[in-house]
Amino acid sequence: MRMLRRPGPWIALLLVALAASAPGWMGAYFLGIFTTAYYFGVFAMSWDLLFGFAGEVNFGPTFLIGLGAYGAGLLNNAGFGIPLCLAGGAVVAVVGGALLALPALRLRGPYFGLITLVAVLLLLDCIVIFANVTGGEIGMMVPDVLSIDASVNYWYALGFLAISALILFGLSRSSLGLILQATGQDRIEAAALGFNVTKHKLAAFCVSALFSGLAGGMLTFYEGAASVDTVVSLSITVQIVIAVVFGGRRTILGAVLGSIFLILFDELLRPLGQLNTFVVSAIALAVIIFFPDGVLGWVLRPREPR
Amino acid sequence: MHDEAPLLAVSGLTKRFGGLVAVRDIGFSIRPGEILGLIGPNGSGKSTVMRLVMGIERPNAGSVKLAGTEIAGWPTHRIARNGIGIVFQHSRPLHRQTVLENIKLALLPDSLWRLAAEPHVEQRARDIAERVGLGAVIGRRPPTLPFADLRRLEMAKALARDPRVVLVDEPFAGLTLAEVATFSELIDGFRRDGRAVLLVDHNVKSVAALVDRVLAMYLGERIAEGTAEQVMRDETVRRVYLGGRIEAHPRKELDVRGGEALLEVRGIDVLYGKAQALQQVSIHVHAGEFVSVVGLNGAGKTTLFNAISGLVPFAGDIRLGGASLRGRTPARIARGGIVQCPETRELFAELSVRENLDLGGQHLASEAARRTQLDWLFDLFPILNERQRQKAGTLSGGEQQMLAIARALMMQPTLLILDEPTLGLAPVILEQLSKALTRLRETTPITVLLGEQNVTFALPHADRVYVLEHARIVWEGAPGRFAAEMGAGYL
Amino acid sequence: MAGLAEAGRDAGDRGRRATRQAERPVLALQILIDGFAISALYGLGAIGFTLMFGVSGVLNLAHGGIMLIAALFGWYFAAEYGAGPYGGAAIGILAGLIASYVTYFVVVRPIQRSRAIPKLEEEIFILTGTLLWGIMIQVGMDYLFSNNPVTMQPLIPGVVNLLGVRTPWNEVMITAVCWCAIGLLSLLVNRTRIGKQLLAASINPRGLTLLGFELSHIYLVVWTIYGLLAGLAGVLLASFFGVSSDNAGNLTASAFTIVILGGLGSVPGSLIAAYVVGYAETITAYLLAPTLRPIPALLILVLVLYMRPQGLLGRR
Repeated sequence: MRMLRRPGPWIALLLVALAASAPGWMGAYFLGIFTTAYYFGVFAMSWDLLFGFAGEVNFGPTFLIGLGAYGAGLLNNAGFGIPLCLAGGAVVAVVGGALLALPALRLRGPYFGLITLVAVLLLLDCIVIFANVTGGEIGMMVPDVLSIDASVNYWYALGFLAISALILFGLSRSSLGLILQATGQDRIEAAALGFNVTKHKLAAFCVSALFSGLAGGMLTFYEGAASVDTVVSLSITVQIVIAVVFGGRRTILGAVLGSIFLILFDELLRPLGQLNTFVVSAIALAVIIFFPDGVLGWVLRPREPR
Repeated sequence: MHDEAPLLAVSGLTKRFGGLVAVRDIGFSIRPGEILGLIGPNGSGKSTVMRLVMGIERPNAGSVKLAGTEIAGWPTHRIARNGIGIVFQHSRPLHRQTVLENIKLALLPDSLWRLAAEPHVEQRARDIAERVGLGAVIGRRPPTLPFADLRRLEMAKALARDPRVVLVDEPFAGLTLAEVATFSELIDGFRRDGRAVLLVDHNVKSVAALVDRVLAMYLGERIAEGTAEQVMRDETVRRVYLGGRIEAHPRKELDVRGGEALLEVRGIDVLYGKAQALQQVSIHVHAGEFVSVVGLNGAGKTTLFNAISGLVPFAGDIRLGGASLRGRTPARIARGGIVQCPETRELFAELSVRENLDLGGQHLASEAARRTQLDWLFDLFPILNERQRQKAGTLSGGEQQMLAIARALMMQPTLLILDEPTLGLAPVILEQLSKALTRLRETTPITVLLGEQNVTFALPHADRVYVLEHARIVWEGAPGRFAAEMGAGYL
Repeated sequence: MAGLAEAGRDAGDRGRRATRQAERPVLALQILIDGFAISALYGLGAIGFTLMFGVSGVLNLAHGGIMLIAALFGWYFAAEYGAGPYGGAAIGILAGLIASYVTYFVVVRPIQRSRAIPKLEEEIFILTGTLLWGIMIQVGMDYLFSNNPVTMQPLIPGVVNLLGVRTPWNEVMITAVCWCAIGLLSLLVNRTRIGKQLLAASINPRGLTLLGFELSHIYLVVWTIYGLLAGLAGVLLASFFGVSSDNAGNLTASAFTIVILGGLGSVPGSLIAAYVVGYAETITAYLLAPTLRPIPALLILVLVLYMRPQGLLGRR
């Protein structure tokens, strides 16, 4: 149990405890903001698993999130209970992800990223075309919600985030995570060491899809609706990428940090009106250029004798 | 040992890249506990053979049998899992992981479901690290390690796979003599373990002590096979490496006594990552001189030329006509009179011969000057005149080389640097190139710095010769003395 | 491409009116003419994008934003400031050029020169950086001009009877301008010295350096040409369809769909692809429904990406 001697896990535990206590001292408004931020954190962590580990830039994470959200929403409208809908949405996301990844992984360089982007555009168009079922650009209401109490919703989100973080972080540190890093950094060397690169990248894609889809579903049952603006639009992709790069790519937990910063900041700058997006984007651009390793990446940089 | 069936049996192996036949009908076999050396200069196809065996490339024809099982066409990871390991020429560690984690990776099974490594893996990784000499740095990350340790890590990963056959690509490149001895010991260890080893290198001399047998390749084909001594004495091999008997042609002595050197290179060091590519190298070239720098692949010729052309950073001093070149962009150095014709030629394949030449001439003052220069070059290389409108990429190897040289000459350089112009060319083309170079020397005041492995080609034109070996200048002198002093020991 | 849906709807309306009033051949001609014009505009927008990638390897996701700046500034100076359609157009193109330079010097070049960013990830950082910059432009333009769609006064008013179809003069002129620009670019690349250098840079940058050409100068030239092309495309777009700050993302998406289809880095490929997409969209809008406009392009793109990822004429 060498792990317990390092400061990291204790800090994490402290933060989670602090976060769990929030409903005691935080107003409902900010609780709502953090709830959204936590779900966003899962979006971002899933993206970092694919990017930081399998080395694939997914410009369409919202394809997976959207499939999960709308899948769960449609099932709910068809009369199924929340847990089944969440599971169903996740399945749709994983299947969609696998169908996208199988041929996409054969493409190199910018083409993989671009085809994931095309997937999102196609999903967007499908939603708009079948507006009678999906609610089109306005969105789709769902009859059930997780809870009407802000505190309960908050704890659901926090719990989901904590469990997802534990699993995804654990994965990143496991043997599988090590193999994923190899396949992401150097395909040929990984193959020479006996690893089936395609199999592993596909697995990473499916794990990313599972968590993205689940988070999308949970978000839908938090907001009581699924809409293009909250789960499919391109701006969500941009925010995810910013959150990960800002927090620190390849750290998994940095993605959570980045998400919270992003959503909090966006909210705090609301008085500026629309310009808040401008300011946040400008800050993110500056971070990308001057601190490409992100916050956590900078904090955790290896300090070794050279 | 002679009765044992071969562990790796290759026959009829052929690989084509477009129109180029990289490997033609290569066959060999290696028994357990045997080391076979695969020797050849750059472009001979030896690295391609290695990649074919490992499944990184698919052969067009031929068979590769591992202990009797046909593996040609299998994906790389399957070949690896069946017992072939490879040590690449360039180290490929995971930069963000420690040495221990890198070795542990090599010990992991190809499974999606094992989240934790089995308990014995950690200990085995440590044992392997100790065996290769990495015990002290097990917790460090690759960016902080010296070059030799990175090579040790590659050996460790290969050992961890416990392969029956080991493919080793140019194991001694970039190592000091002491390190070469340690690594030879490690490779010998593979033999003692009963593994079959294929050792690929460009130089017979460096692996002679280690290998049991040698197969020599040139332009994709087998040219000699036997023990190391037999291959080194083989006529064809000597011709390929040295270009034949070393002869010195008497020529007009260039009076350079007392003259200032045009190009002065003083004590330069160049590091590629961790490897010392050049160590305290000093040369000088006088105006109008024709200087040859000879050396085998990996000796450092290209690095030297790239340092002069401003393409790689260096420590030390390089001056043209007294003025330091430090801080100038490569393009500026080229405009300033030092034009390089690199080994890779860097032609614009999709543009025509004429367009390539025109680009070379864009800095000339007037259309008339360009026309004159072009006419002169068409006279020097008539074939280029014929093929003016043809796309550069469709020319033969020899024609491409001529185009590259002509294009460089369009810039009217003060100093022309030619890097391995004869690489991969047939002897009849070498004749033409040789004639062109002679004419160049006799009719223009141009200064030439020629880097060559083919000594027979380089010597007749040279006023002076430098020999570069393992990043250092080991000999300097007139070509006449070369045969006497260096010739025998060169190969 | 959803941003052009309004135009599609108009075109669809015209189409339906035409079918009611006239015979089949006229509808076919209408599709032929409108499709030609729309494709020409798409082509102009796309070739700048592909030239940028071919020569400097940069996929500029702020492309739509630069077109938007040109369009909005052009409109503003033409209408509100009173410079007239030609004056406004000139200022719009200039604005596009400046926006292009800012993109290069503030976003792309710092990333390319940064030592903290590993070479392998440079592409991703440039994509993300230009994406962010594109968003900043969109929000900034929204703030300055609001997101109401604006249209520039037609450069030539009135209609002309083309093969029996009543076509606005503006549409004809825009098509002519697009093709002039494309023709000029072709002349530049194939006949001038600087053009040959650009071509060579897209084939082998190291070769150019060895011949004494500074790549930094070449890049400056490419960003200049890009700025002019994007600026012109933006201004023409404002005149043809109208723009609003909401369109920025769709313009970029539309450009790179065409560029991927035609082959990254291939200018002739982009032109062919622009016509494929332009006609596919026009036919869909006229014969099926305007809302289905963007679908065929995306479907074609998916097909091409799976079967021939390098596009129709792609090289890299």
